[in-house]
Order: sequence, then structure tokens, then C-alpha cells
Amino acid sequence: MSGFAIDPCDKCEELLQPFLDRDLNDEERAMAEEHLSLCEYCRKRYRFEEELRRFVRQAAVEEMSPDLKTKLAGLRTPLL
Amino acid sequence: MGETAPETEARKLAEDARDRVRFEEEALDLADQVYRVARRLVSSKEEAEDLMQETYARAFRSWKSYQPGTNLRAWLLRILTNLNIDRGRRVQRAPDMQPLEEGDYFLYNKLEEATREPNPAEERVIERLSQDDAVSALSAVPHDFRDAIVLVDIGDFSYNDAAQILDIPVGTVMSRLHRGRRILKRELAERAVTDGGNSE
Repeated sequence: MSGFAIDPCDKCEELLQPFLDRDLNDEERAMAEEHLSLCEYCRKRYRFEEELRRFVRQAAVEEMSPDLKTKLAGLRTPLL
Repeated sequence: MGETAPETEARKLAEDARDRVRFEEEALDLADQVYRVARRLVSSKEEAEDLMQETYARAFRSWKSYQPGTNLRAWLLRILTNLNIDRGRRVQRAPDMQPLEEGDYFLYNKLEEATREPNPAEERVIERLSQDDAVSALSAVPHDFRDAIVLVDIGDFSYNDAAQILDIPVGTVMSRLHRGRRILKRELAERAVTDGGNSE
């Protein structure tokens, strides 16, 4: 029997972020896992969320210019 | 025979110099990682570069206040976020706590609809997003929420480290992160759906 009192997909949606953050207690995690094993709709959305986090992380990367790197190194205390 | 006072003094100076050089090298080795976070905490490359220089100048001046063995990257980011606030580059204001209608499935549902395919694979759905959309959506997220996303999801900091860097309770980091990600998804949905409409 499912432990969800309300629409199980709504509840599963609520658990998405803490599930991926590994921030659920054992009972909640088991509840989400049970539902995900039965529900393709939610499973797809969970996989998408994981992919989305990777996508945003990669898109947000902008490397530092070599010029700035040189300027930072130039801020070191001069050796006597 | 023991050291004379001048010898003790000279030894201490030499030790200090060695520790300082080591600290500076370690801090510089982390500069790429610190910059990646800094770049998304502020809106322009120029601001990020200024902030990095001010941060490193301050860190090198106050290197003795860093406790060896603790997280140096978090220590540098703490200086950087404080400078960012001190210099008035961002306006501190109460976080936007209006209810958000959209849940965590909102973006997927919108993108799936835009593919106009029955039951598409997730890969087809995420293809609706462009890297430019991701960057612009992230910068549209209000500061307080964006800081949490940038530190945890991009900078890979733990909730505890993010809480120390931002000087807010851990529970606040978690709630801002949760809400911030939903705002980010709403912003992405607006951009992706608009782009999709233009390209077809």
C-alpha cells in the first residue's frame, strides 16, 4: 500500500528536490522510490531534473581570463 | 645551547614568510573555482574581475586569520560575498516570498508540450533549452535565491558551507535553494517556450 495520502504524483513532485539532494528520511525516500518504480510520468521528470542540474551547471561555467590570473598572482606579498 | 633573542626572532620571521607563501599559493590554486562562483554572483564579467582582485588583496593581507585545515575556498568566498555587499554592488532587500504557482514539474511539462510529440524521451525535452537561456534565466533569479543556487548547485558547497558564506541559517539556505530552483525553472520555461515558438 502506498503511504501517500494525496495524489501520489503531487506528493512525488514535492519530494523531487530533497530526493535528489539526498535530504529525505528513510520513510520518505522509500515512499518516493516505491512510487517511482510504478510511475513512468514521475520517473521521467526526476531524470529530467538530474539532467537539468548538470545542464545549468555546465552552461554557467565561464573561465577566468589569463590576464586576471596574472593580476591575482601580482597581488602576492613581495618576498624580501 | 639555546637560541638568542635575535635568532628566535629571525626564525619566526622565516617561518611566517614560508607559511604566507604557502597560503598564497593555495589561494591562487583555487582562483579558477572561486571565479566560477563569483562570475554568477554578479551580473558582469568586469564586476566579477574587480571583486576577485579585491578579494585576493584582502585575503593576502589577512591571511593569518585563516585557520589552516578549514575550507579555504569557502573562506575566500566569504570574503568575496562580504565585499560584494559592503561595496553596495547589490541591494539587500527582503526576499520575494510571494507564492509561486509553479511546482517542480512545471518546466518539464511546458517543454514536453512544446516538442509536439506524444510522450517524448527526456533527451528530446532538454534539447529545447539552450546554454544562453540557462545563463540568462539564472541571472533573472533574484539575488538571495541565486546566491544559494550558485553556491550549492554550481560551486558544489554543502548547505553548511553556504550558510557560513552567506551568514544565514542552514534552513534558510535550503528554503532559498528550493524556491530559487523553482524560479529558475519558471524563467527557463519562459525563454525556451518563446524560443521554440520563434524557430518553428
